[in-house]
Amino acid sequence: MLRRVPLHVWLLTPALAFVAAMALFPLGYSLLLSFRSWKLAQQDTPGQWLGLDNYWNLLSDDTEFLDSVWATLVFVSADVAVTLLLALAAALLLQRETRMNSLARVLLILPFVMSPALIGVSFRFFLNPEFGVGHHLVGWIFPAMADKVWLADTTLAMVAVIAADVWHWAPYMTLVVLGGLASIPKETQEAARIDGASEWVVLRDVTLPQLKPVLGVVLILKTVFALKAFDTIFTLSNGGPGTSTQTLAYFVYQTAFNYYDMGYAAAAAYLLTAALVVCAFFYLRLLFRK
Amino acid sequence: MQRRALMQWMAAAGVVPGAAYAQTTAALRPGKPFAGTTVNVLSVVAPQFSAHEARLPEFEALTGIKVKYQYVPFASMREKLTAELVAKTDQYDVLSVMDVWGPSLYNLFDPLNDRIAEKKIDMTARYPFAHLRAARDGNGNGKNILGFPLRGHVQLMFYRKDVFNRLGLKPPETWDQMVDAGRQIQSKTDMAGVAMYYGKTSGQNLMIWFNYLWGMGGELLDAKGQPAFNSPQGVAATQAYVDVLLKHKVAPAGSATFNETDAVNSVAQGKSAMVPVWWWRYAGLVDPKTSTLKSDQIGFAPLPSMPGREATTYTNTWFYGINRSSKQKNAAMEFLTWLSDPALERSVLLDRRLNEVVAMQTSNLIDGDVNLRFGGMHLFGAQALKGARGTPLFAQWPQVSDILEATISEIVAGQVTVKAGLDAAAAKARRALRA
Repeated sequence: MLRRVPLHVWLLTPALAFVAAMALFPLGYSLLLSFRSWKLAQQDTPGQWLGLDNYWNLLSDDTEFLDSVWATLVFVSADVAVTLLLALAAALLLQRETRMNSLARVLLILPFVMSPALIGVSFRFFLNPEFGVGHHLVGWIFPAMADKVWLADTTLAMVAVIAADVWHWAPYMTLVVLGGLASIPKETQEAARIDGASEWVVLRDVTLPQLKPVLGVVLILKTVFALKAFDTIFTLSNGGPGTSTQTLAYFVYQTAFNYYDMGYAAAAAYLLTAALVVCAFFYLRLLFRK
Repeated sequence: MQRRALMQWMAAAGVVPGAAYAQTTAALRPGKPFAGTTVNVLSVVAPQFSAHEARLPEFEALTGIKVKYQYVPFASMREKLTAELVAKTDQYDVLSVMDVWGPSLYNLFDPLNDRIAEKKIDMTARYPFAHLRAARDGNGNGKNILGFPLRGHVQLMFYRKDVFNRLGLKPPETWDQMVDAGRQIQSKTDMAGVAMYYGKTSGQNLMIWFNYLWGMGGELLDAKGQPAFNSPQGVAATQAYVDVLLKHKVAPAGSATFNETDAVNSVAQGKSAMVPVWWWRYAGLVDPKTSTLKSDQIGFAPLPSMPGREATTYTNTWFYGINRSSKQKNAAMEFLTWLSDPALERSVLLDRRLNEVVAMQTSNLIDGDVNLRFGGMHLFGAQALKGARGTPLFAQWPQVSDILEATISEIVAGQVTVKAGLDAAAAKARRALRA
């Protein structure tokens, strides 16, 4: 019987078993948990079956969850838009082969390799009203901002967490866009210029259409990363002031590891996963479409 | 405080001059019955615990038991303990836990009543009630003792002694006096009056708020266990607490987002003249590596109170207990017997290489040598501990704490008024308590 199993199946088995143990089992288990009550502070094994109650309570009755959905929408949309625009602008500036541009491209990798938690702590110091260089610099440029305490203002705190995440990701995304720019045949741009097109028209009608698949990948990947963002927010604003920068990922962490409400946290995590799956669907479609 | 004045005060207070408490060897089992055993300890990072670890050769020589420490940073400790609770492993024999986490982790610990009775250790004589309560089950009222309190804090008011002397100011005894002193300091120096911490970090913005609340006769919960912090007293207390920054402006603007460390740094770097904070922060305030100040520039006093009311302090306690799944419980108890001995704590306190102020045991709090070394700080601690109150211990406290912490932060950010914020917080807390 076993002899009939083709060799390639045998060869794939360890990898499949590993994926099942490390990804599918936790996914399946947490899905089951999302339908149950499990307050770890009161019982150390999952409790009664609740059906869709956890999901219903989240969506109908939990203002903190709904606030965190709103904070997530603001954070993700601004973060993705700014990262994408900056990455595109920086890539266009750096696409010419000069010595300084080569150096700049090497330096671009540095923010990306830094730990997000460390970036959060650094930005916290940077914006400290007593010692922070960033705080004093902004106050010097815009005197009206000199007395503003960034992390005590709901809007500025959101700006700060977005800025920290953009600082982390924009350089890496610039490198991705640079790769995309390098793959565009130069003849198409030169032909447009010979036809009298301005640089703006070349960019709008020739470069960007050819760059669309790469920008699509950047857009989707950055959306996924922004939806999952946690470390920077945790160390920079701690979700505050109040709960104004508390995103969904932060809400899930709080519910699971601070309140020990595992079933409820699993349900919230699955709602976040649903958003991620939608992104993943578009990403895969973009990657594999003919 | 001058040395002579301190000596006179200690004599009047009945302080024991240099008392020695060498009970350890008597309480340990004779004949090294557990020699060769290894006890694994999961400990939070703290210089006090490193000092214990440095003294392990003494314990190993007495018992033949090997002890291995694994340290976990504070921020990860609760998650690590939860993982141990769920997995029920015997990887660690002895675990350290903070009081407020206790109710959700009771099942992780083996009750020690019989073992303590066998060792003839009088826990009530040894520890102030506020610390001992933290190591009991049943939200602090149960019959089981789950561990030995080994690290705990009271709050003190640290102030710039040199600045106060120069301006002819006295350490504030009431919160209003603190505001007045802050005003005078700000008008005559370029320093902020008092570094407060209203930012969000593990409930730190509630630690001084509790004293305002209790000082004005407010309570966190009522007799039925329901939120009472939005009572008229609670609203007035919270208003007075945030007004230090919002109305009187005697706190640095950054206080709106400061956590405890930021506030201490503000004093250590000469930006603020006072900070109400845990006593263990003294070491950092006078350490040349972390502070621009010298020890003679830093004074301390009991935490201010409301006019005509007793001073309060909020306490925090860590205890060490035995893992219920441990296979080395007897050896672990030998280790805890040694570790909790007053003589060990005293030797750490008097170790000139360290600047460790944390004392848990009544005998050390009133010890003459200890008080001489730290200028009477421990007598203040002993005095404060008499009326001290810890966090209400209940399983939903982390959630209620987060709700309150976010509310204080919202109020200070101007998102909501005190009354509206506390009412909304009470509604959320009721829901959390019901769940």
